[in-house]
Amino acid sequence: MNSPQRKLSPDQAHRLTLEAEPWLSCDDCFDQIDFFAERVVSGGFIGMPALRAHLIGCSACGEEARSLVQLLAADDGVDPAPSLRRLSDG
Amino acid sequence: MTILDGPELADAHPVSREAISREAISREAISREWPGSGHRTGAHTGAHAAPATSAGPSAPANDEWISLLSSPGPGHAEALAGLHQLLLRAARHQVSVMSAQTAGIGEVRRQELIGQAADEAMVAVLGKLASFEGRSRFTTWAYKFGILHAAVEVRRSLWRNREVALELLPEPAAVGHSPEQLAEAADFSEAVSNAIAVELTAHQRQVVMALVVDEVPIDVLADRLGTNRNALYKTLHDARGRLRRHLQDTGYLDETAKGVIP
Ligand SMILES: [Zn+2]
Repeated sequence: MNSPQRKLSPDQAHRLTLEAEPWLSCDDCFDQIDFFAERVVSGGFIGMPALRAHLIGCSACGEEARSLVQLLAADDGVDPAPSLRRLSDG
Repeated sequence: MTILDGPELADAHPVSREAISREAISREAISREWPGSGHRTGAHTGAHAAPATSAGPSAPANDEWISLLSSPGPGHAEALAGLHQLLLRAARHQVSVMSAQTAGIGEVRRQELIGQAADEAMVAVLGKLASFEGRSRFTTWAYKFGILHAAVEVRRSLWRNREVALELLPEPAAVGHSPEQLAEAADFSEAVSNAIAVELTAHQRQVVMALVVDEVPIDVLADRLGTNRNALYKTLHDARGRLRRHLQDTGYLDETAKGVIP
Protein backbone atom coordinates (compact mmCIF):
# COMPACT_ATOMS: atom_id res chain seq x y z
CA MET A 1 0.00 0.00 0.00
CA ASN A 2 2.88 2.37 0.67
CA SER A 3 4.30 4.02 -2.40
CA PRO A 4 8.07 4.13 -2.71
CA GLN A 5 9.63 6.85 -0.57
CA ARG A 6 10.56 9.93 -2.49
CA LYS A 7 13.56 12.10 -1.81
CA LEU A 8 12.59 15.45 -0.33
CA SER A 9 14.49 18.71 -0.42
CA PRO A 10 14.99 20.52 2.91
CA ASP A 11 12.49 23.16 1.80
CA GLN A 12 9.87 20.54 0.96
CA ALA A 13 10.44 18.82 4.31
CA HIS A 14 10.00 22.17 6.04
CA ARG A 15 6.76 22.95 4.20
CA LEU A 16 5.43 19.46 4.93
CA THR A 17 5.85 20.00 8.66
CA LEU A 18 4.63 23.59 9.08
CA GLU A 19 2.43 24.01 12.11
CA ALA A 20 -0.05 26.57 10.65
CA GLU A 21 -2.00 26.94 13.89
CA PRO A 22 -4.55 28.09 14.98
CA TRP A 23 -6.70 26.37 12.38
CA LEU A 24 -8.59 28.39 9.80
CA SER A 25 -10.29 27.09 6.65
CA CYS A 26 -9.82 28.54 3.16
CA ASP A 27 -13.44 29.75 3.17
CA ASP A 28 -12.97 31.61 6.45
CA CYS A 29 -9.72 33.01 5.11
CA PHE A 30 -11.55 34.35 2.06
CA ASP A 31 -14.22 35.84 4.28
CA GLN A 32 -11.72 37.84 6.33
CA ILE A 33 -9.00 38.63 3.81
CA ASP A 34 -10.41 42.04 2.77
CA PHE A 35 -10.25 43.72 6.16
CA PHE A 36 -7.02 41.87 6.99
CA ALA A 37 -5.41 43.31 3.84
CA GLU A 38 -6.61 46.82 4.71
CA ARG A 39 -5.05 46.48 8.16
CA VAL A 40 -1.77 45.34 6.61
CA VAL A 41 -1.65 48.28 4.20
CA SER A 42 -2.71 50.82 6.85
CA GLY A 43 0.35 49.90 8.93
CA GLY A 44 -1.63 49.66 12.16
CA PHE A 45 -2.31 46.73 14.47
CA ILE A 46 -3.03 43.55 12.48
CA GLY A 47 -3.70 40.71 14.93
CA MET A 48 -5.66 37.83 13.34
CA PRO A 49 -3.17 35.02 14.13
CA ALA A 50 -5.29 32.26 12.59
CA LEU A 51 -5.49 34.08 9.29
CA ARG A 52 -1.77 34.77 9.28
CA ALA A 53 -1.07 31.11 10.00
CA HIS A 54 -3.36 30.08 7.16
CA LEU A 55 -1.55 32.33 4.70
CA ILE A 56 1.71 30.61 5.61
CA GLY A 57 0.22 27.11 5.38
CA CYS A 58 -1.90 27.58 2.24
CA SER A 59 0.10 28.75 -0.76
CA ALA A 60 -2.93 29.65 -2.90
CA CYS A 61 -4.56 31.86 -0.26
CA GLY A 62 -1.13 33.31 0.51
CA GLU A 63 -0.54 34.21 -3.13
CA GLU A 64 -3.95 35.87 -3.41
CA ALA A 65 -3.47 37.80 -0.16
CA ARG A 66 -0.15 39.22 -1.36
CA SER A 67 -1.83 40.25 -4.58
CA LEU A 68 -4.69 42.02 -2.77
CA VAL A 69 -2.22 43.89 -0.57
CA GLN A 70 -0.29 45.01 -3.67
CA LEU A 71 -3.47 46.20 -5.34
CA LEU A 72 -4.57 48.20 -2.27
CA ALA A 73 -1.14 49.76 -2.02
CA ALA A 74 -1.35 50.72 -5.70
CA ASP A 75 -4.78 52.34 -5.12
CA ASP A 76 -3.33 54.27 -2.19
CA GLY A 77 -0.32 55.27 -4.29
CA VAL A 78 2.15 53.81 -1.79
CA ASP A 79 5.08 51.42 -2.11
CA PRO A 80 3.76 47.88 -1.50
CA ALA A 81 7.10 46.62 -0.14
CA PRO A 82 6.55 47.56 3.55
CA SER A 83 3.06 46.03 3.49
CA LEU A 84 4.37 42.84 1.90
CA ARG A 85 7.04 42.69 4.59
CA ARG A 86 4.38 43.07 7.29
CA LEU A 87 2.48 40.27 5.63
CA SER A 88 5.41 37.86 5.60
CA ASP A 89 6.91 38.82 8.95
CA GLY A 90 4.13 36.98 10.77
CA MET B 1 -19.12 40.46 14.31
CA THR B 2 -20.41 37.53 12.29
CA ILE B 3 -17.91 35.08 10.87
CA LEU B 4 -19.49 33.30 7.93
CA ASP B 5 -19.15 29.58 7.86
CA GLY B 6 -17.76 27.60 4.92
CA PRO B 7 -20.98 26.48 3.27
CA GLU B 8 -22.30 30.03 3.14
CA LEU B 9 -19.33 31.04 1.06
CA ALA B 10 -19.33 28.04 -1.22
CA ASP B 11 -21.22 29.89 -3.94
CA ALA B 12 -18.63 32.62 -4.04
CA HIS B 13 -15.68 30.30 -4.20
CA PRO B 14 -14.56 29.20 -7.63
CA VAL B 15 -13.29 25.86 -6.39
CA SER B 16 -16.92 24.77 -6.29
CA ARG B 17 -17.64 23.38 -9.72
CA GLU B 18 -21.36 23.45 -9.08
CA ALA B 19 -21.11 27.15 -8.33
CA ILE B 20 -19.15 27.75 -11.52
CA SER B 21 -21.77 26.11 -13.69
CA ARG B 22 -24.50 28.20 -12.06
CA GLU B 23 -22.36 31.27 -12.65
CA ALA B 24 -21.80 30.39 -16.28
CA ILE B 25 -25.53 30.32 -16.81
CA SER B 26 -26.30 33.57 -15.06
CA ARG B 27 -23.28 35.39 -16.51
CA GLU B 28 -25.09 35.56 -19.82
CA ALA B 29 -28.17 36.99 -18.18
CA ILE B 30 -26.13 39.64 -16.41
CA SER B 31 -24.32 40.69 -19.55
CA ARG B 32 -27.68 41.39 -21.19
CA GLU B 33 -28.67 43.68 -18.30
CA TRP B 34 -25.38 45.44 -18.28
CA PRO B 35 -25.56 48.40 -20.62
CA GLY B 36 -22.93 50.48 -18.89
CA SER B 37 -20.06 48.04 -18.94
CA GLY B 38 -17.06 49.41 -20.79
CA HIS B 39 -15.81 45.85 -21.03
CA ARG B 40 -18.64 44.91 -23.33
CA THR B 41 -20.04 48.06 -24.89
CA GLY B 42 -17.52 50.84 -24.49
CA ALA B 43 -17.83 54.01 -22.44
CA HIS B 44 -21.24 54.77 -21.02
CA THR B 45 -22.59 58.29 -21.02
CA GLY B 46 -25.74 57.99 -18.91
CA ALA B 47 -27.04 60.66 -16.60
CA HIS B 48 -25.86 58.91 -13.44
CA ALA B 49 -22.17 58.68 -12.70
CA ALA B 50 -20.89 55.23 -11.76
CA PRO B 51 -19.22 54.94 -8.38
CA ALA B 52 -15.49 55.48 -8.59
CA THR B 53 -13.59 52.35 -9.51
CA SER B 54 -10.78 52.60 -7.04
CA ALA B 55 -10.71 53.33 -3.37
CA GLY B 56 -9.48 56.90 -3.18
CA PRO B 57 -10.69 59.83 -1.07
CA SER B 58 -13.60 60.43 -3.47
CA ALA B 59 -14.75 56.82 -3.44
CA PRO B 60 -18.43 56.39 -2.63
CA ALA B 61 -19.55 55.06 0.70
CA ASN B 62 -20.09 51.34 1.08
CA ASP B 63 -23.84 51.73 1.53
CA GLU B 64 -24.04 53.71 -1.71
CA TRP B 65 -22.50 50.80 -3.61
CA ILE B 66 -24.83 48.29 -1.99
CA SER B 67 -27.90 50.43 -2.54
CA LEU B 68 -27.13 51.13 -6.21
CA LEU B 69 -26.24 47.52 -6.98
CA SER B 70 -29.11 45.97 -5.08
CA SER B 71 -32.10 47.37 -6.89
CA PRO B 72 -32.97 48.64 -10.35
CA GLY B 73 -33.34 52.38 -10.54
CA PRO B 74 -31.29 55.50 -11.20
CA GLY B 75 -27.60 54.69 -11.16
CA HIS B 76 -28.03 50.90 -11.11
CA ALA B 77 -26.60 50.25 -14.57
CA GLU B 78 -23.71 52.60 -13.92
CA ALA B 79 -22.97 50.91 -10.61
CA LEU B 80 -22.89 47.54 -12.38
CA ALA B 81 -20.48 48.96 -14.90
CA GLY B 82 -18.37 50.45 -12.11
CA LEU B 83 -18.26 47.12 -10.32
CA HIS B 84 -17.22 45.34 -13.48
CA GLN B 85 -14.40 47.83 -13.95
CA LEU B 86 -13.23 47.10 -10.40
CA LEU B 87 -13.25 43.39 -11.09
CA LEU B 88 -11.42 43.81 -14.38
CA ARG B 89 -8.79 45.84 -12.54
CA ALA B 90 -8.39 43.12 -9.92
CA ALA B 91 -8.28 40.32 -12.49
CA ARG B 92 -5.77 42.20 -14.65
CA HIS B 93 -3.63 42.84 -11.59
CA GLN B 94 -3.73 39.18 -10.59
CA VAL B 95 -2.77 37.98 -14.05
CA SER B 96 0.07 40.47 -14.09
CA VAL B 97 1.45 39.33 -10.72
CA MET B 98 1.40 35.78 -12.09
CA SER B 99 3.19 36.92 -15.26
CA ALA B 100 6.18 34.66 -14.65
CA GLN B 101 3.84 31.69 -14.84
CA THR B 102 1.75 33.03 -17.73
CA ALA B 103 4.62 33.96 -20.05
CA GLY B 104 3.73 31.17 -22.46
CA ILE B 105 0.00 31.81 -22.53
CA GLY B 106 -0.11 34.54 -25.18
CA GLU B 107 -1.75 37.95 -25.06
CA VAL B 108 -5.09 36.95 -26.57
CA ARG B 109 -5.60 34.12 -24.08
CA ARG B 110 -4.42 36.35 -21.26
CA GLN B 111 -7.10 38.95 -22.11
CA GLU B 112 -9.70 36.18 -22.36
CA LEU B 113 -8.73 34.96 -18.90
CA ILE B 114 -9.05 38.46 -17.47
CA GLY B 115 -12.48 39.01 -18.99
CA GLN B 116 -13.72 35.58 -17.98
CA ALA B 117 -12.49 35.98 -14.41
CA ALA B 118 -14.08 39.43 -14.10
CA ASP B 119 -17.39 38.11 -15.42
CA GLU B 120 -17.39 35.17 -13.02
CA ALA B 121 -16.39 37.41 -10.13
CA MET B 122 -19.23 39.79 -11.07
CA VAL B 123 -21.79 37.03 -10.67
CA ALA B 124 -20.21 35.94 -7.38
CA VAL B 125 -20.16 39.49 -5.97
CA LEU B 126 -23.77 40.20 -6.93
CA GLY B 127 -24.81 36.91 -5.41
CA LYS B 128 -23.09 37.75 -2.13
CA LEU B 129 -24.06 41.42 -1.75
CA ALA B 130 -26.27 40.61 1.22
CA SER B 131 -23.29 39.13 3.07
CA PHE B 132 -21.21 42.32 2.80
CA GLU B 133 -20.94 43.66 6.34
CA GLY B 134 -18.90 46.78 5.71
CA ARG B 135 -15.85 45.55 7.62
CA SER B 136 -13.69 46.77 4.73
CA ARG B 137 -14.22 49.20 1.88
CA PHE B 138 -16.61 47.79 -0.69
CA THR B 139 -13.92 48.11 -3.33
CA THR B 140 -11.53 45.92 -1.31
CA TRP B 141 -14.27 43.37 -0.75
CA ALA B 142 -15.00 43.28 -4.49
CA TYR B 143 -11.32 43.07 -5.40
CA LYS B 144 -10.87 39.82 -3.52
CA PHE B 145 -13.42 38.14 -5.77
CA GLY B 146 -11.66 39.38 -8.91
CA ILE B 147 -8.29 38.22 -7.61
CA LEU B 148 -9.59 34.81 -6.57
CA HIS B 149 -11.34 34.08 -9.85
CA ALA B 150 -8.38 35.27 -11.92
CA ALA B 151 -5.88 33.23 -9.90
CA VAL B 152 -7.97 30.09 -10.23
CA GLU B 153 -8.47 30.66 -13.96
CA VAL B 154 -4.73 31.07 -14.51
CA ARG B 155 -3.86 27.97 -12.47
CA ARG B 156 -6.44 25.88 -14.30
CA SER B 157 -5.31 27.19 -17.66
CA LEU B 158 -1.66 26.39 -16.97
CA TRP B 159 -2.46 22.85 -15.86
CA ARG B 160 -5.20 22.10 -18.39
CA ASN B 161 -3.06 19.73 -20.40
CA ARG B 162 -0.67 18.63 -17.70
CA GLU B 163 -0.83 15.36 -15.93
CA VAL B 164 -0.64 15.24 -12.16
CA ALA B 165 2.07 12.57 -12.13
CA LEU B 166 2.57 11.70 -8.50
CA GLU B 167 5.55 9.43 -8.94
CA LEU B 168 7.72 11.79 -10.95
CA LEU B 169 9.80 13.93 -8.67
CA PRO B 170 12.96 15.73 -9.77
CA GLU B 171 15.98 15.37 -7.54
CA PRO B 172 16.01 18.31 -5.12
CA ALA B 173 18.75 20.87 -5.60
CA ALA B 174 21.26 21.17 -2.79
CA VAL B 175 20.99 24.36 -0.71
CA GLY B 176 24.03 26.46 0.07
CA HIS B 177 24.76 25.62 3.69
CA SER B 178 27.74 24.16 5.51
CA PRO B 179 28.41 20.39 5.17
CA GLU B 180 27.08 19.86 8.71
CA GLN B 181 23.85 21.77 8.00
CA LEU B 182 23.40 19.92 4.73
CA ALA B 183 23.80 16.58 6.48
CA GLU B 184 21.34 17.61 9.20
CA ALA B 185 18.79 18.83 6.67
CA ALA B 186 19.16 15.65 4.64
CA ASP B 187 18.67 13.64 7.79
CA PHE B 188 15.50 15.58 8.63
CA SER B 189 14.22 15.28 5.05
CA GLU B 190 14.70 11.55 5.22
CA ALA B 191 12.84 11.41 8.53
CA VAL B 192 9.93 13.35 6.98
CA SER B 193 9.96 10.99 4.02
CA ASN B 194 9.79 7.98 6.39
CA ALA B 195 7.00 9.61 8.39
CA ILE B 196 4.98 10.11 5.20
CA ALA B 197 5.32 6.42 4.42
CA VAL B 198 4.36 5.14 7.86
CA GLU B 199 1.96 7.77 9.27
CA LEU B 200 -0.20 9.01 6.41
CA THR B 201 -3.17 7.38 4.74
CA ALA B 202 -2.98 6.81 1.00
CA HIS B 203 -5.23 9.85 0.43
CA GLN B 204 -3.19 12.09 2.72
CA ARG B 205 0.00 10.94 1.01
CA GLN B 206 -1.41 11.67 -2.42
CA VAL B 207 -2.57 15.14 -1.37
CA VAL B 208 0.58 16.27 0.44
CA MET B 209 2.91 14.98 -2.24
CA ALA B 210 0.91 16.67 -5.00
CA LEU B 211 0.48 19.99 -3.16
CA VAL B 212 3.81 20.40 -1.46
CA VAL B 213 6.28 18.33 -3.42
CA ASP B 214 4.95 18.43 -6.98
CA GLU B 215 3.46 21.92 -6.40
CA VAL B 216 0.20 21.15 -8.13
CA PRO B 217 -2.06 24.18 -7.48
CA ILE B 218 -4.71 23.35 -4.90
CA ASP B 219 -7.61 24.29 -7.21
CA VAL B 220 -6.24 22.09 -9.98
CA LEU B 221 -5.85 19.14 -7.62
CA ALA B 222 -9.37 19.77 -6.33
CA ASP B 223 -10.69 19.55 -9.90
CA ARG B 224 -8.81 16.30 -10.55
CA LEU B 225 -9.95 14.69 -7.30
CA GLY B 226 -13.53 16.03 -7.47
CA THR B 227 -13.24 18.00 -4.25
CA ASN B 228 -12.60 21.61 -3.22
CA ARG B 229 -9.88 23.86 -1.85
CA ASN B 230 -11.28 23.77 1.67
CA ALA B 231 -11.31 19.98 1.91
CA LEU B 232 -7.80 19.62 0.47
CA TYR B 233 -6.37 22.18 2.84
CA LYS B 234 -7.97 20.31 5.75
CA THR B 235 -6.31 17.09 4.53
CA LEU B 236 -2.95 18.87 4.27
CA HIS B 237 -3.36 20.40 7.71
CA ASP B 238 -4.25 17.07 9.34
CA ALA B 239 -1.38 15.33 7.57
CA ARG B 240 1.06 17.97 8.78
CA GLY B 241 -0.19 17.38 12.31
CA ARG B 242 0.43 13.64 12.03
CA LEU B 243 3.90 14.17 10.58
CA ARG B 244 4.80 16.65 13.29
CA ARG B 245 3.66 14.31 16.07
CA HIS B 246 5.67 11.45 14.58
CA LEU B 247 8.76 13.62 14.21
CA GLN B 248 8.40 14.87 17.77
CA ASP B 249 8.06 11.30 19.06
CA THR B 250 11.17 10.25 17.18
CA GLY B 251 13.20 13.27 18.31
CA TYR B 252 13.41 15.09 14.98
CA LEU B 253 11.21 18.02 16.00
CA ASP B 254 11.12 20.04 19.16
CA GLU B 255 7.58 20.14 20.57
CA THR B 256 7.66 23.92 20.67
CA ALA B 257 9.10 24.27 17.16
CA LYS B 258 6.83 25.89 14.60
CA GLY B 259 8.62 23.91 11.90
CA VAL B 260 12.22 23.11 11.21
CA ILE B 261 14.09 25.75 9.26
CA PRO B 262 16.79 23.90 7.39
ZN1 LIG C 1 -6.40 28.52 1.86
